[in-house]
Amino acid sequence: MKKYLPIIKSILLYALLTGATVLMSFPLFWMISSSLKTIEETNSPGIVWVPQNPTFEAYFAIFQNQDFLRSYFNSVFYVTLALVGTLISIAAVSYAFSRLEWPGRNVVFFLMLSTMMIPPQALIVPQYVFFNKLDWIGTFNPLIIPGYFAGGAAMIFLLRQAMAQIPKELDESAFVDGANHIQIWWEIILPLVKAPMATVATFLFVGLWNSLLTPLMYLQTIDLYTLPVYVSTLYNINQTVQPWPTIMTAAVLTTVPLIVVFFFAQRFILESVVVSGLKG
Amino acid sequence: MPQNPYLNVLITAALTIAFIIVTSYGLGFLARFIARMRGASPKAQEVTFAGYFFASPWIVGFLIFVLVPLGFSLYWSFTDYRVTSPDPAQWLGLDNYKTILFEDEGFRASIINTLYLTVIGLPLQLGVALFLAVLLNQKMRGERIFRMAFYLPVILGFNTAVLLCWRLMLNTGTGIINQIIRAMTEAFPPFGLLSRGVIYVQEVVAAFFLGLNTGKYNLLLKVLEAGFPAENRVPLWIQSPLWTKMSVVLLMVWGCGAMMLIFLAGLNNIPKELHEAAEVDGATGWQRFWKISFPLLTPYIFYNLVVGMISALQIFEPVFVLYRDNQPILSSTISMVYYLWQKSFSHFEIGYGSAISWVILVIIMIVTVIQFRLQDRWVTYDVY
Repeated sequence: MKKYLPIIKSILLYALLTGATVLMSFPLFWMISSSLKTIEETNSPGIVWVPQNPTFEAYFAIFQNQDFLRSYFNSVFYVTLALVGTLISIAAVSYAFSRLEWPGRNVVFFLMLSTMMIPPQALIVPQYVFFNKLDWIGTFNPLIIPGYFAGGAAMIFLLRQAMAQIPKELDESAFVDGANHIQIWWEIILPLVKAPMATVATFLFVGLWNSLLTPLMYLQTIDLYTLPVYVSTLYNINQTVQPWPTIMTAAVLTTVPLIVVFFFAQRFILESVVVSGLKG
Repeated sequence: MPQNPYLNVLITAALTIAFIIVTSYGLGFLARFIARMRGASPKAQEVTFAGYFFASPWIVGFLIFVLVPLGFSLYWSFTDYRVTSPDPAQWLGLDNYKTILFEDEGFRASIINTLYLTVIGLPLQLGVALFLAVLLNQKMRGERIFRMAFYLPVILGFNTAVLLCWRLMLNTGTGIINQIIRAMTEAFPPFGLLSRGVIYVQEVVAAFFLGLNTGKYNLLLKVLEAGFPAENRVPLWIQSPLWTKMSVVLLMVWGCGAMMLIFLAGLNNIPKELHEAAEVDGATGWQRFWKISFPLLTPYIFYNLVVGMISALQIFEPVFVLYRDNQPILSSTISMVYYLWQKSFSHFEIGYGSAISWVILVIIMIVTVIQFRLQDRWVTYDVY
């Protein structure tokens, strides 16, 4: 009996883990399955695990839907523009905090860390007034421009930690060879922190792609809606029957980029969450 | 500005970049000038220039998008400023704060709801996260795949699209979750007893919290009077004020992957020798978990607790997607940030909204400070 104990234990362990995986992934499975159903099947009083005759009707229909396609384009457009600017500015600021010894650095760094305590939502009201004064309501600007000023203290911290680990001699010798700081930053330091940059980029991407509150506040016409805002309008309480297959098709197409990015970036993320999380 | 929204933002972005470059050089030259005045060496002057040049995007952004807005909102929070009103703002003194803290039912509701999420939801979330972390810590093949599967909900978590899928699943009549509960009850009657027991306890607790909210405990009495749930009862999820918060808890538990990773790191940091020594002394796995792992995990539990509580104050998307169109039950699940959004942007009462923002800010700081004070009492930092 004693001999079989480890085997029983590992069977039990795998059973528990598989069970947990099934539960955790279930919403995803249900989303895909529902997108292939008919409306009758999604509202059926009996369990329809997988549709009898999977129909791609909702997929064909949604690719004809101008509003959906435009919101998809809007999301891709705004996320790309915001991501590139935010990433570069964060990389620049991290360089200042990790590789350069300037007077006042510790004060500024401490200030930056303490902004992590400020919930971003506490700023939405005055920022709204500010953007209103600039006449930026109804444009993409408020969603993109603030990021260009190195938005995101946690991300700066993460990248700074990575840059601080690079040996000092590296930029000193480059400096002797006549390189300036911009060259050292761009050509020597950044290529060495590709993995942390990928992590930061992934977190930024996920945050921007999922973002609902700011687009909701600033994009007030349907032609500017990003995906989360547009998809939320598909469910409408005034409809007697909700078009669940259509909603779930939109949901699948919204989730695909997140899953693809996560799949490629998971090895960076799963490690750095811990680093940034604990020290932050 | 051109009418085309895409061209418009591209031009603004280009102007912003130009602005950032100009301010970076400006700040750098200014810093170098000050350094020269103070008699720094040429090399130190150069580093000062570079430091401020590279840090300037953050410094300038902090001034424009954080410090100045915070200052203005502090000022507005003492006035009745409205964006839409043509009249100039009136100074109200502390009136806004008095109203929020003592009279505002919506704000009171949001505090009670957060309390529910903290007292009922957070322990569940932490428990599941710890359980999964302990399972994953057994070091077996395929660990990475499981880890990915458990973390994926964090990535998808609050996307509107995924939340709509939850709305479909949580439907009381035809939703898959209740259908599974019904099917399991039919196949295995004792499960029905268990589920009804859980329903009963949940409804009593939720009714109590709703009572705290309104000051009247009619609902609690009604739930108690109705007694043990009838045989065909299922959870009402997004349809009843008794269940709205539980639905959010479900989402929290589903998204426990980030907490799990923190616990996993904690478990990895526990010296192997401790477990080996205990094993030699004949301690069972269960004993080793409670006597060794758990005490050493307290800093991680504490960290997750603080983060979890702060994020409970900030829940927005689930409330928006699940309940926005259901006014009668909205107050049973409203979060502080949702309330802030609703109040500020339905009537554009900027003064009142600013006061709410400051209350949230102060609450979050108090929570953080109290937790850090308390941690000395019960958190074990030995061995590290």
